[in-house]
Order: sequence, then structure tokens, then C-alpha cells
Amino acid sequence: MEYKVEAHRIMSISLGKIYNSRVQRGGIKLHKNLLVSLVLRSARQVYLSDYYAGVCLNAQHIEAKEWELMDADREKLIPASERHVGAEDGRASRLQEKDGDSLDPSDVAVTSPVSPAISETQCGSSDCETDADAAVTEGDSRQPPKDHACSHRKRSAEETGVSETPVKRTKVTPNAIVANNEIEEGEEMDTSNVSNLITIFGSGFSGLLSKDSAKSESETDDSDSGSGQICCEQMLKNLNPWTTAIVAF
Amino acid sequence: MDEELDSRKVNNSFLRDHNYATEADIISTVEFNSTGELLATGDKGGRVVVFQREQESKNQPHRRGEYNVYSTFQSHEPEFDYLKSLEIEEKINKIRWLPQQNAAYFLLSTNDKTVKLWKISERDKRPEGYNLKDEDGRVRDPSTITALRVPVLRPMDLMVEATPRRVFSNAHTYHINSISVNSDYETYMSTDDLRINLWNLEITNRSFNIVDIKPANMEELTEVITAAEFHPNHCNTFVYSSSKGSLRLCDMRAAALCDNHSKFFEEPEDPNNRSFFSEIISSISDVKFSHSGRYLMTRDYLTVKVWDLNMESKPLETYQVHDYLRSKMCSLYENDCIFDKFECVWNGTDSVLMTGSYNNFFRMFDRNTKRDVTLEASRENSKPRAILKPRKVCMGGKRRKDEISVDSLDFSKKILHTAWHPSENIIAVAATNNLYIFQDKVN
Repeated sequence: MEYKVEAHRIMSISLGKIYNSRVQRGGIKLHKNLLVSLVLRSARQVYLSDYYAGVCLNAQHIEAKEWELMDADREKLIPASERHVGAEDGRASRLQEKDGDSLDPSDVAVTSPVSPAISETQCGSSDCETDADAAVTEGDSRQPPKDHACSHRKRSAEETGVSETPVKRTKVTPNAIVANNEIEEGEEMDTSNVSNLITIFGSGFSGLLSKDSAKSESETDDSDSGSGQICCEQMLKNLNPWTTAIVAF
Repeated sequence: MDEELDSRKVNNSFLRDHNYATEADIISTVEFNSTGELLATGDKGGRVVVFQREQESKNQPHRRGEYNVYSTFQSHEPEFDYLKSLEIEEKINKIRWLPQQNAAYFLLSTNDKTVKLWKISERDKRPEGYNLKDEDGRVRDPSTITALRVPVLRPMDLMVEATPRRVFSNAHTYHINSISVNSDYETYMSTDDLRINLWNLEITNRSFNIVDIKPANMEELTEVITAAEFHPNHCNTFVYSSSKGSLRLCDMRAAALCDNHSKFFEEPEDPNNRSFFSEIISSISDVKFSHSGRYLMTRDYLTVKVWDLNMESKPLETYQVHDYLRSKMCSLYENDCIFDKFECVWNGTDSVLMTGSYNNFFRMFDRNTKRDVTLEASRENSKPRAILKPRKVCMGGKRRKDEISVDSLDFSKKILHTAWHPSENIIAVAATNNLYIFQDKVN
């Protein structure tokens, strides 16, 4: 799938740019980083829409419907599902070692159950899944869909299960718009490439999540905040030390 | 439009004849003063070079006033912000002239963080005959002084000196991208990514914040301010452009904080042209009021648009600068060219627009005849005094003679900064570290 390859390539390039901007003379350029993060998000949306479409074709529509139902259920749940926590802790501790900013273990534990829900409710609206229904059937030929991005991301998060990593943050990038999800989904797809990038980054990025929720709230017509919003807020509280660093910039 | 090429290859680089450019010599801004007598350029090394047009002489009527170097000074130095461990670049982002009120000239120059007001004045007399010190400045032994004399002013070689008269600092957290002098000639504004501050030219320790788009939570950031300018005639009106491709016109009489705009200009996005890079190419890199104040011109990556202040829904005119690049977006993203911030300028009568492109090409659009032309600023392809030949880029397929194919364009040779004389057809084009000045053909 050409889209997938290109989208992944663009994502890698974008991450590289964000990384390079940290060492650039004159400090981080807010405007350029904002634009790069927008491209990164578009690429991710396409990448995921592609990915899901590919999986769906294999799994057949019936199974896809089942997924949607399960998602609907999970959507309503309070963030933390046993299955995800188990998978994540291993990941979380691995990340913690890599993370130069050395997250507090308790922070990690707290965020890990939160993050799958965060990624599920990325757009802060649980009705994304209903959109996902349409998205699935439309296949991968669509242009990067803004409204449906969240559902796709959510879906892939559900499917893979293993890949949820605690939110990574960076102190450096002020707009800090790149989501850990972008990195984690990249990892699902092509671990070698993207995990290198993660190692390079060292410290993490703070979530795209709230920006997404802000953006998608403006874009999606009916957004059912519900549990999604609560997750976002919880997430934001945990991000406090990092957001102050970002704001300081 | 026929142009006579007066290829003033002003190269600040020490190694004048060599082809490579030291990065510090890259010109980062070009600006004529309000009469067109002076032309200022700023470069990446923090220097400002001012050119003055020589008086037209009767002996050589065909050489209509050429521009010669008038003054050179170091405006900004690299600094280090110890608190954030960041280096502050000395690159001059913008120069704006103040209207002339006496014999001296004043200009504002800015880097990422600090705006400075410079006074450029001439000195052609020197006092001589001091009592307490001799001509070299050495202090004389008082016991050797036997007579008293009054120092007199004697003519000397003309010296042009630049002195910093005001330094406006510590008002911007983010990088300053624009400055604009108000038509009241008392205030000016400086704009960074998220805020616009209003200054009084006399007062350096205080500025007023008039626009602030910083969200409470930085993670919710979706757009930044990319440029701002005061209306040429109404001192209460200004416009600022955003990275989302919108313009906001604000009236300072409405409120102290102009976060609420009076007018909002935005063209709805064409869904057919949607791509990964749609947001980047819609980001406005420059906005300029027409001299009349009736129109606005904006430059985004691929187009120049003219807006009527009375119509907010869509631009009046749209001109394609280099649409052949639309298929090359991914490569341009990779090599960072897609982030290039091109400027645009009006001519004196607001009938022609000019903007730069790649391969040292620059484009002019005639609003009345709807004709456009692509010209090249290069030493190799044009001799001094020669008329510039229009260039053409071919998209693909059969390439005609003298045409250049898209793939052979040199993207390292970009013309970002151009300026047009306020009343005559003289243009200044900055191509990396070279400044080209073109004049209308004289018959």
C-alpha cells in the first residue's frame, strides 16, 4: 500500500525535524514545529486508516462489526482495563528506562491505565465509533479524514493491545503536539525504525490528545464527551509538571 | 515590463569573487525608505547595510541615480538567554524606516527578541583647536599651555555614523516576525508568534500587549501569528495573518486588547486540493496593505492573493506563483523548502505585485492587464544594462528552448525578500547574499 509507505515516511521525516529543531541555533521555532506536527498528524491519520482498512479486509466485515460493538462497550468503561494494564506495564517500564526525564514509577503506573482510554477517546467523543463504521466500509481510498482519525486510532489501539505506552513528554517542544500514540502505533507497524526514533528522543512527548480533543470538538458535530473527557482531564493533571515546562517556554 | 539591469552585485562577503556565500552574508530583509532615497538591507550576521541613491547628474543622464553604500553597521549581536539556555540569533528579521523629520534618518531593526531604533546621520565638520588636548586627542600638559583659543568647526570628509538611540527588549517570549510603524509616527508594533505589542518610539521600558492568542494550555495551540501591519492611513487599524491562512483586521479603538477582530478574512479550503501539506501551504508568510489602504495582499506558499477590505469571504484576486511545485510537496517538505517564507510587495501605484520564487526567479503580476512575468536575478544569465529576459518553467513533456524544467530548478537559490521603490519603477531583489537592483528601461 503506497499510502501507508508514504505516510510512514512522512511521519519519520516529521519526527526527525522535530528532533532536529531541539538542537537548532536560535531556539525552537514555534511556527515550524506547529506545522510539522500538523503534517505528522495528517500522516498518522492516513497511516492508521490504511492500517485498519487492511486489517478489516482480512478479518471480514462481520468481525469488524464485532470490534465496533466491543469498542462501544469499552468506550463506556472508565479508563483502565485489566488487559491493557497488564500489557502496558512491561512496556511502561521499558519506556521509563529510556525516558531521560525519568518518570516517577507511580506516574507511569497511573498513566498507563489511563492512556489506552485516552487513545480510545482521542477525540474526546465516543461517537467517533459510529463514524468509524462508515470509515471502515469506505476503505482506504479516502483522503486523510479528520473527523474519523480518532476512531481509527482508537481502533488500532484496541486491536493491538500491546502497544499502549504511557504518554511520553518532552519538556522542550512547546507546542508539544506529537502524541505518544503516533510513536506507539508506529511501533506496532515497524518497530525497528520508530523505536530508534524513540531512543533518539529520549524524553517523551506530551499528548496530542488535548489538542485533538480541542480540534475535534470543533470539527465533529456532535461530540459526546462522557468518559472521554474525564480521561482527558485525568491525563492532563498527570501532565502538569510537563505542561508547566512547556508553558515556561 | 522591460527592465534595465543594473546589476549592483553588492556582496558583503569578504571573498567577493568566490561563489560560495558565508551564511552570515545571507540577506534577510530589504526595505526602501519612504522617499526611496535610501535602501536598507539586513543580513543573517546582524549587519545592516544602507544604500543611498546618488543624485542624478547632468553629465550622465542615462545613468539614473544608482545606489551606493551609504552606511554599514552591526545592528544586533548574538546573545545567550541564560535562563532558557537558548542562543538568540542575530539575524535581522525586519527593517522598517521611520519617516524623515530632520537631517538624520531613523530605522527600526529587529532580530528574534529585540527591536532597536538606529539613527543614521552625516557628519562633515569637525571641531579643531582644543586647548586641553592636541589634534590626536592626547591630553596636553597644562603647563605647556600658554594661550587660549576657541575651537572652530572645519570641514572634514563626509562620515556617516549610525548610533542606537533606543533598544526595545524583553517584551517577547517568542520569535519576533514583524514590526510595523504606525501612521501616527509615534508608535509601532512588534509581533511574535503569539502576541503583538504596541510601543511608543520614545519609551523603551514599557509596551502594551494588544493581541494575545496564546491558549491557556499550550497543547491546545492550533495557530500562530505570522505577520502584522498597520494600516497606512488609519492609525487605529492593523491586520495580522495566521498560520491557518486567515487574516484579522483589528481596531484599537474598540478595546485595549484586540483579541476580537473587526473583520475576519478567510477563503474556504478547496477540498480537492487536500493533501498532507495543505496546512503548511495555506500558512500566510507575508501580508501587506496597498498604498491606498483599500486592499491587502497575502502570500502563502504557492499563491499571492489580493483582498478587498470590504469583502471577507474570499480574496479579490489570486495569482499562482509556482503552481508546478504542487506535485513536489513531499520533496519540498523533506528539504525544508516548504517552510520558506516568501514576502510580497506592491508597486507605488498598487497596480503590480511582486514576489519571489526559486532558482533566483521572481514574479510580477499586473493587476490591470492580468499579465505576469517571471524574471531571473543572476549574474550569469544577464549582463549589466541588459534587458531582463522573461523566463518560463515547463512542467513536463517537451521542453522548449530557453525553458527550464521543474526538476532542474535550484531550490537553494530562493528569493524571499524584495522591495519596490515607493514611487518609481526601481526594485531591489535579494538573492541569497547578493542584492540586485533593477530599474525601468530609459529610452
